[in-house]
Amino acid sequence: MGELGPDEGAEGAERAENTYSLRPGLQHRFKSSTVKECIRAILKEKLADVEYKPEEMPELTKSLSDTIKDRLKEEGFDRYKMVVQVVIGEQRGEGVNMAARCFWDADTDSCAHDVFMNDSLFCVVAAFGCFYY
Amino acid sequence: MDGDKKRTKEDTWKAEELRKHLKAALPESQNEDQKHREKKLQRERSVHDINPYRHEYRGREKSKERTRERERFKSSERDRDKRREREREKEQQREDRERHKDKVQESWLEERHSVLKYKDRHTDRERDKKHKTYEIIDPQNYLKSFEGRDTEHHRRREIRHRLEEERARTEERERRHKAQKDNDLRKQIEKFLAYKAEEGERVHKFEKHQELNKERERKYREKKEHSSGTEKERLSTEKSYKHYGKEEEEKHKSKRSKEKSSHGDREGPAAEADERVKSREKERKKYDLRNSEYKKEERIQEEMSHQLVRTVKDKGKLIETEDMDTRQEEMKDTHVFNPDTEFKDFSLNYEDDFEVYEDDFEDDEDKSDEVGDAEENLREVQFSRTSEIEEIQRAITAENDRIFNPLPKKLENEKKEPVMERQDSSVRSSFCGIFMDFQMANQRQSSRSMASKQKKRTSDLLPLIDLDFSVSFSLLDLPPVNEYDMYIRNFGKMNTKQAYVQCNEDNLDRDIQTEEVETLEKWTQHPGESALVSGGPINSQNTSVNGAPTPKIDSQRLANFLRSACQVIAVLLEEDQVATQPRKLRSRQTSLSISDSCFQLNTNQPFLHGRKIPCLYVSQVQRQTLLSAHGLPEKAGVGLLSRKSLICVWNIWQPSSPQKVLICDSEVMCCCFSPSKATLVFAGTADGSLLVWDLREDSRMHPSMMITETEWTFRVPTFSTDGILNSVNHTSPILAVEPVSTSPSSDHSYGLSSLSYQEEMSSPPFQIASMDENGILNMWVVVELQKADLAGSQTDLGLVPGGKVKLVHSSTMELSNSLFPKDISQRMPQTLTIKFLSSNPNHFIVGTNIGLVGHGTRHDLKVVPKLFRPQESRLRSISITAIDFFPFGKPLFLVGCSDGSIRLHQMTSEYPLMQWNGSTKGQPIIALQWALTRPAVFFALDASSNIYIWDLLENDLLPVAKQTMPSERIVTMTLLGEPEKANGLLGIVLAKESGQIDIQYVKKKWALPQPEESDKLYSILLQSF
Repeated sequence: MGELGPDEGAEGAERAENTYSLRPGLQHRFKSSTVKECIRAILKEKLADVEYKPEEMPELTKSLSDTIKDRLKEEGFDRYKMVVQVVIGEQRGEGVNMAARCFWDADTDSCAHDVFMNDSLFCVVAAFGCFYY
Repeated sequence: MDGDKKRTKEDTWKAEELRKHLKAALPESQNEDQKHREKKLQRERSVHDINPYRHEYRGREKSKERTRERERFKSSERDRDKRREREREKEQQREDRERHKDKVQESWLEERHSVLKYKDRHTDRERDKKHKTYEIIDPQNYLKSFEGRDTEHHRRREIRHRLEEERARTEERERRHKAQKDNDLRKQIEKFLAYKAEEGERVHKFEKHQELNKERERKYREKKEHSSGTEKERLSTEKSYKHYGKEEEEKHKSKRSKEKSSHGDREGPAAEADERVKSREKERKKYDLRNSEYKKEERIQEEMSHQLVRTVKDKGKLIETEDMDTRQEEMKDTHVFNPDTEFKDFSLNYEDDFEVYEDDFEDDEDKSDEVGDAEENLREVQFSRTSEIEEIQRAITAENDRIFNPLPKKLENEKKEPVMERQDSSVRSSFCGIFMDFQMANQRQSSRSMASKQKKRTSDLLPLIDLDFSVSFSLLDLPPVNEYDMYIRNFGKMNTKQAYVQCNEDNLDRDIQTEEVETLEKWTQHPGESALVSGGPINSQNTSVNGAPTPKIDSQRLANFLRSACQVIAVLLEEDQVATQPRKLRSRQTSLSISDSCFQLNTNQPFLHGRKIPCLYVSQVQRQTLLSAHGLPEKAGVGLLSRKSLICVWNIWQPSSPQKVLICDSEVMCCCFSPSKATLVFAGTADGSLLVWDLREDSRMHPSMMITETEWTFRVPTFSTDGILNSVNHTSPILAVEPVSTSPSSDHSYGLSSLSYQEEMSSPPFQIASMDENGILNMWVVVELQKADLAGSQTDLGLVPGGKVKLVHSSTMELSNSLFPKDISQRMPQTLTIKFLSSNPNHFIVGTNIGLVGHGTRHDLKVVPKLFRPQESRLRSISITAIDFFPFGKPLFLVGCSDGSIRLHQMTSEYPLMQWNGSTKGQPIIALQWALTRPAVFFALDASSNIYIWDLLENDLLPVAKQTMPSERIVTMTLLGEPEKANGLLGIVLAKESGQIDIQYVKKKWALPQPEESDKLYSILLQSF
């Protein structure tokens, strides 16, 4: 981050233009596929034998999203801000439709999502990575 | 000392004032000596920087003061009672403010009065001096400076005021003292003890401090030499300040404890009201002090501001934390807006100043002790206020620092200024709320700066980045599951399976279920590669229902059965009929001696009348079946059949009517059955054609005729050689037709047919030999066609449409040339009769008209006796009329001649074994035949209708019996008998000239075979050799 002191202001900008990096390095780019793999692995591990119990779900979603976020941080997506959204619902035969739409820079930002289902529940995880210039 | 003190007081104030109002104008109106000192200071400042010098100066001052303090402490020890009293009074003063509201009101009125005056003056001055800018920037400072300026003018008037006040206060105090003496005693003691302990601490530290101060002074001096006192260089000396700071803290502690003592009382529900009252009182005091001293005014002013701070902060907070807070606030503020060093100096100086004030007050106290009670009270108040003052001053600094803040706050502050000045504490408290806004604003400020930073960042980045809406990601699309699938999904796990499905959709009622469907597994194949295109296991349950057991019907056997059964039934019915009738036909009383019984075949048919019977033939296999050929009627007449000859097929057991009637155009000369089975009838005609009738043919193929209420079917020949095969066909009348079995069978060797032959329809092939008058022998092969052609055959012209049997010419032999030697053939022998050896069909013998019998084979083989001659060797013209082979195996045959002689020949010798001449008395032999049941017996018929019976065992010279037919002339004769059955039935069929056919059963003695008859016969024959 190009941190600026309060007084440097205009003259600072003239002296040395802030070093904004507009594109992430190739190896640091947010890769949907790897993220998806991460999510899938975690979901498989955590939700394999989980039954839907309404009172446990809030905690589970929180822990899941934290786990996934931490895991994604380890992936080394530099200068990316991660948003992980976890939705768990019960499988009762109802139809569910979830969608996401983003206003972002499509060159740098991306998202990955994965769905896990077992007999009693479905879990949708969407991870968005926004590049911080 | 007094003067010295005064100087220090004034000096410290001055320094502070100067530091605070660097830009502000210096106070003009001062006491003369004050002025003098100030000038001196100003001179000093012109040389050195203000702050370090002041520190130095103050340090020195402080050390002096501390020594003084110790002295004062001692004195205060001594005056403990007094002090206690004073303190009590101080407490009481605060506690009992409410009680003295009247007085306060009074004082407030006074204050107002003074304020009004002051204001008037103020405005005047403002106009005069035109310090407008100053006023805008720093109203408070302006106020202070203004106050400072005004002190001189005020003083005399204020003194008066003060004296009055003093008087009132002393009275009050005395009253308070009495009232609350007991209540506060304990508190006072505690506080005093704490104070004392602190004092002790102070003493300990004092020496150390002095040393530190000295050291610091030294450093300062060095600094002064080197630098002209720029602020930056002063930064480097911070270290030394730290020591000093420590010292300062110590002092602060003591002061704070004092503050506690003073503030602790104020805490409580009535705190705010108290404070308001107090502030008024203080104002009043302020004026008193102002009268006496310029500095005190200032201090009170500070106290006022401090009070403001406290009114806000005091709510539920301890003073100490408040102090800390204010200090931290100060620190923060200065950090942001002021150079650190300056602040430090400033704050430290401040506290030094407080110390000085304290000392000053104590000095005053000491002095006033001597003056009186009033003086003492004043000093007490001063002492107790030191802590408050400290707070006030701190608040002031904080406030001032804030005042350096950006414009909007200042403006805010300015707006409130008149209110603050003119109105009482209630108004001020509202100001306090606004004061809180400083903090908020500070935060807002920082966040605003951050925001602007962010904003700049965005404005930098936005042109570089393209933001756009992404396509909407479909995170999850889970279609709703219908009820049935859900059900199946839940039940699918539970090892259950659906057995029934309701398929009738309009029957939604739950109770309705379809019945179990009957199923049957079948397989099929398309396209079918063989005749079997479908199949599968047949359900055993269903066969009882569906598969009606088809009875195994052997149609051939059935047909056979029916055929025979029909005949049997027909015969039985006929016998019944005969039995009921009077003995007309059956076993008519025979007139013949040789026979037991006789019956007639019913030849009394209209179509048989007047026909001569040229030939009779009995089937060798079916012994009951008889053929009778009927020639052309003598009287030409009756329609269709008048020009046709007939053949009747008889069953002797059913003599009432012929079985079948066959017709042909020409006169039949001879006829015969097929050898194996009596299904085919062959006939040779006078015009040389050979005819075949197939008796199996459907009667509908043939014309039928109603004759005397009976429908007769007249069968036409199936095949006729008439008109075809002209090259090979006979041109003269056929004299004989003989069946020839091509394969010799054991049955034939015995002259018997087996039943097995009957079973097989036409399996043993046979040939037909036909011989005409010219001695031409034709062999015909009988061919049965597989399929009848109702339209008629194109190639087989002799075949009737729908017929299945035809004759194929096989070979032709000219017997007259090949059979006889030259000498005989010169005589042109005429063949008359022919017989085939049954044991070996290749051999045949032919009777001639010269008394000789020729021996030939079908394949022109050499045979040993070419001719069989009579015993007399000369050739006579006698015709051989009958030849018959011995039916019991031996190759023997009888020959009957037209001269009435009978010869018995064996095949191996030319001459006969026996010859009987004249047995018939010269009558020609017409028929000669071996008995079928007895080997040694044979029958002969002569032309005069005499029947002779020969039994060779009984008499080999003469016939044993002779029967002359009485009524009619016998045309021909044949024998019936069943050699297989030893029933003794041997019939003689006699065809009369009238066309009647009689059957005579000969007596048993000639019919029943005798034991070893054949052997006896052989021996007799051998003897005759």
